[in-house]
Amino acid sequence: MSSLQTIQEQMLQAVLAERAAKLRSIRSDDIAGAEDRLSIYHHGYRVRLRDALKNEFTGLQCMAGRRFHALLDTYVKAHPSEHYNIRWYGADLPSFLDETQPWCDEPQLAEMAYVDWAVSTAFDAEDERSMGMADLSAVPAHAWANLRLSMQKHLRVLTVTHNVDAFRRAADSGAKRPHLRRFVHARRILVWRKETTIHYRTLDRDEWPVLNAALGGETFAAMCERLADHHDESTAMSRMVQLLQRWLETGLIQGWTTD
Amino acid sequence: MIDPAGLVSHASPAYLSDKTIAMTPATSSQPLPYLGYGLGLRVDHYEALLANPGNVEWLEVVSENYMVDGGLPLVWLDRFRERFPLVMHGVSLSIGSTDPLDEDYLARLAALAKRVEPAWVSDHLCWTGVQGINLHDLMPLPYTEEALDHVVSRVLRVQDTLKRRILLENVSSYVSFADSQLTEWEFLAAVAERADCLILLDVNNVHVSAQNHGFSSLDYLRGIPASRVQQFHLAGFEQGEHLIIDTHDAPVSNAVWDLYIEAVRRFGRVSTMIERDDNFPPLFELMAELDHARTLAEPLLQDAA
Ligand SMILES: [Fe+2]
Repeated sequence: MSSLQTIQEQMLQAVLAERAAKLRSIRSDDIAGAEDRLSIYHHGYRVRLRDALKNEFTGLQCMAGRRFHALLDTYVKAHPSEHYNIRWYGADLPSFLDETQPWCDEPQLAEMAYVDWAVSTAFDAEDERSMGMADLSAVPAHAWANLRLSMQKHLRVLTVTHNVDAFRRAADSGAKRPHLRRFVHARRILVWRKETTIHYRTLDRDEWPVLNAALGGETFAAMCERLADHHDESTAMSRMVQLLQRWLETGLIQGWTTD
Repeated sequence: MIDPAGLVSHASPAYLSDKTIAMTPATSSQPLPYLGYGLGLRVDHYEALLANPGNVEWLEVVSENYMVDGGLPLVWLDRFRERFPLVMHGVSLSIGSTDPLDEDYLARLAALAKRVEPAWVSDHLCWTGVQGINLHDLMPLPYTEEALDHVVSRVLRVQDTLKRRILLENVSSYVSFADSQLTEWEFLAAVAERADCLILLDVNNVHVSAQNHGFSSLDYLRGIPASRVQQFHLAGFEQGEHLIIDTHDAPVSNAVWDLYIEAVRRFGRVSTMIERDDNFPPLFELMAELDHARTLAEPLLQDAA
């Protein structure tokens, strides 16, 4: 007689193994043999994990097309789930694609997967209040230089070298698969949630350094300096106000402090 | 047809007389409410169900779907909570695993129960993984004394944490173990008695497992103590080559409706639910199935009264 632990470990290994094995602990009878019986769990395991990934990586599915299934299979083979919620199973898929042959030869796949996963995690991230224009008007004029913004905690910025957002957009709207384009300069995609709606957009070239400073907790004065590369003094301030307005309207900012 | 006289003779077999039965349960044994006829809440039916609840008297929510930090799932949950009595149904407690209980999972489950205040909380009599790996499947247990002791001690722990009795559901299974000393129903009954927990009887799963293992589904019903049955699930399956596969993605079959009638005769008025996990039809089809359950059960219950 085997211990409960032994039975469970053997069965787990049999399900994870490439081929469904035969286990002596499992009965065969007239209805079905042990191998057939075990194969139901063996098969079901792979289907369930693939389905869970399909739900989260819709942009990747659009991009990978017919290779999507094979791509998921290699991940499922390499990655047993360690989370109680199957919803989180895909957490390591983006880095897997980044590091594993042959997928890493096409960096757009990992880029797409990172965006898909950022959308997924924003979906049920913690609720945060977002600040409006009126909140900022409470900042006294002399305190502006030392103003620091608290951005939404769930907000993600992803570096991409391909038009991956077009694929996600196509997946979301059911539109035709777009053509892949490679950018000369890397761009950055911002993913965030306002109330219950997920948004993603490409950051303007001059926007990223400023947003990065805001995320790093730098002061308003320091943020303005980040515009110096793209603007002269006369236009920097109006651009800064424009960015701030945009961030407020789209719910990126949850609060502020002054020293 | 089940002989009612045969049903009440429920002597205490040896496997019930373990020392754990003498432990005082941390939870009150007050009866839980009767909720009537309900549905498993699924995203596909969110809008339709709020617009027109029809004959749906209560809802079962999958706990893990709402064990999240925020966002849309909890917004919907709160909306349904205002309109329907809710019960929580988990899939990842892994009560039979030899891995330690997942404390993080339990804490989140307890927090959700505090927020939802469900009529009850349920999960499955199974294990879902071991060695830190989750198979995301309801794996059957060997029905041994060792497994029984193990499950009972864990149910007591969970009930202690949640400060309430839980319901355990019988799963559909495709394998049985050479080591099993008890039948599935003896095992389930013993867990319920010794841990003082309740039973969610999935009538479809009884049928599926009976077909797959060649036992009598009526023997199964006879072996379950009526006082422990708090909820029924009704669902559909798929005929495989040799085995039948519990897919929960099809209408309730005639065989399961027949077994439901026997279950109502045996267990009386039990909160009943249609459980569809995939291949979602329009809501009205599930409502029609729910009406069918009512049409079958109510005359029997009125006769009994
Ligand atoms: Fe069920």
